[in-house]
Amino acid sequence: MALLEVENVAKAFGSLKAVDGVSFKVEAGEIFGIAGPNGSGKSTLFNTITGIPFGPDSGKVRFDGNEIQGLAGHAIARRGLARTFQRETCFDQLTVFENAEIGATYANEARSGAKARDAAAEALAFVGLAAPSWGRRAGELSVFERKILMLATAIASDPRMLLLDEPASSLTKPEIELSVELIRRIAARGITILLIEHVLTFLMSLSQHLLVLNQGRVLALGNPREVIAEPRVVEAYLGTRRVAA
Amino acid sequence: MNALADILFGGLFQGSLYAMMAVGLALVWTTIGVFNFSHGVLMMLGAYFAWQLVDWGLTAALAFPIAVLLMAGVGWVLQATVVRPLIGRANLVLVVVITTLAAGSLIENGVLELWGPRSKQIPPLVAGNAMLGGVGVSLHQIAIIVVTPIILLALWLFLNRTRLGLALRAVAQNEDAARLVGLNVTMLYGLAFAIAASLAALAGIFLGGYRFMTPVMGADPLLKALIVVVFGGISSISGPIFAAYLIGFFEAICSYYFGLYWTPALLFAALILTLMIKPEGIFASRSRGLA
Repeated sequence: MALLEVENVAKAFGSLKAVDGVSFKVEAGEIFGIAGPNGSGKSTLFNTITGIPFGPDSGKVRFDGNEIQGLAGHAIARRGLARTFQRETCFDQLTVFENAEIGATYANEARSGAKARDAAAEALAFVGLAAPSWGRRAGELSVFERKILMLATAIASDPRMLLLDEPASSLTKPEIELSVELIRRIAARGITILLIEHVLTFLMSLSQHLLVLNQGRVLALGNPREVIAEPRVVEAYLGTRRVAA
Repeated sequence: MNALADILFGGLFQGSLYAMMAVGLALVWTTIGVFNFSHGVLMMLGAYFAWQLVDWGLTAALAFPIAVLLMAGVGWVLQATVVRPLIGRANLVLVVVITTLAAGSLIENGVLELWGPRSKQIPPLVAGNAMLGGVGVSLHQIAIIVVTPIILLALWLFLNRTRLGLALRAVAQNEDAARLVGLNVTMLYGLAFAIAASLAALAGIFLGGYRFMTPVMGADPLLKALIVVVFGGISSISGPIFAAYLIGFFEAICSYYFGLYWTPALLFAALILTLMIKPEGIFASRSRGLA
């Protein structure tokens, strides 16, 4: 049984169908990529899965066999489905350690006190945030450090699945390489990863399955190499080739 | 010696009162991002609850904590009815000004209907008077000076040393990120309002112990609380607390040397000057948070 099943999910804003009948399955332990041009509905799809800030208008989302589309965002998070945002979203006035601690404490109710602090420390060390930085406020960190702090906060909650929304955006090439390595290590911990990115090379280096969205609909789904070779995917990214008469 | 004692005592007393009035208002702003314009009415209602319980024969030691707890419930209900349904709407800040003003007006008229317009007074925290540095003061005022920092310290410890406090500080900064780490934002908003209403009740009990209470007694404290919060900075709760004591001492010095008549004008002049130089408030950072 798939860990995540998205079935005919739709979300509209007025007359704009941001997500239009999207279906796919993610198996436990895999890295599943979602690509698509800007405005294709990738982040809206993440929103509908996590319920933050809104759920779908219609369709079903099953996590570990249970329907979650009607649940509040915090309740979905507590079931083991963690997420990061495209923009580095931390609690800026809390310390680095408190950011990770809050993930360890609330998203996983089995943990509190010393257990939560241990989990926070382990997650911070895992992503490469060294102990001397733990007392700094999150708002003082660099963009890359804030991005990996988001990951540490998510990991500290011991999720079964992690949804990453454009983790490479605003990063330099060496930082992107570090991010790729980190995502591989997260997957090696047994955490299933659903990854949005519009940079195809980034997705190709990580994903076992690739889904391409265009105008809210599934354009292609399958093996990444086969998917990016499909003419309609090339057309969605590069446009129709015009040959001069 | 008399002048120094007068200013010192006056500053500490007014500062304590202003801090108690303002801290709840700041707590609601920093967590939910709205101004509760019924905050002054909540002070009044807390004082009336305390008066009613004492009138029924309870001792002040029992009546005051019960009134504070009752007000926590009132705060929760108020948030659930006039704030929570509006979260996420456009112009939230302005809309909540109207809804909380309306709720305050309803409560005020309800109190007028229930308890009448005649002024009332609740027992002081401690009865009696004393001489301090040649200045005659009431023990109630001394109790306020002593109790207020203890309450504020307890609030600080709650926010900075407990699991729930950490959650409140987080939700104050980013609602979506808070949901993402499993925080029940709706519950935390209710908690913030409940704590703020309890703090308002304490301020009301402090006021009701040394001046007469009427159903409109909350208007002036609300104005003072707003001044303190804007002056100190609306980004945190520590800013308004420091500002409360600063304003208390400023008023004590002004009223000693220039008289009560000129004190409000001088205070507003200082406030305007400060906000021209530092619009975010004298003790504020530029981002919101419960530090």
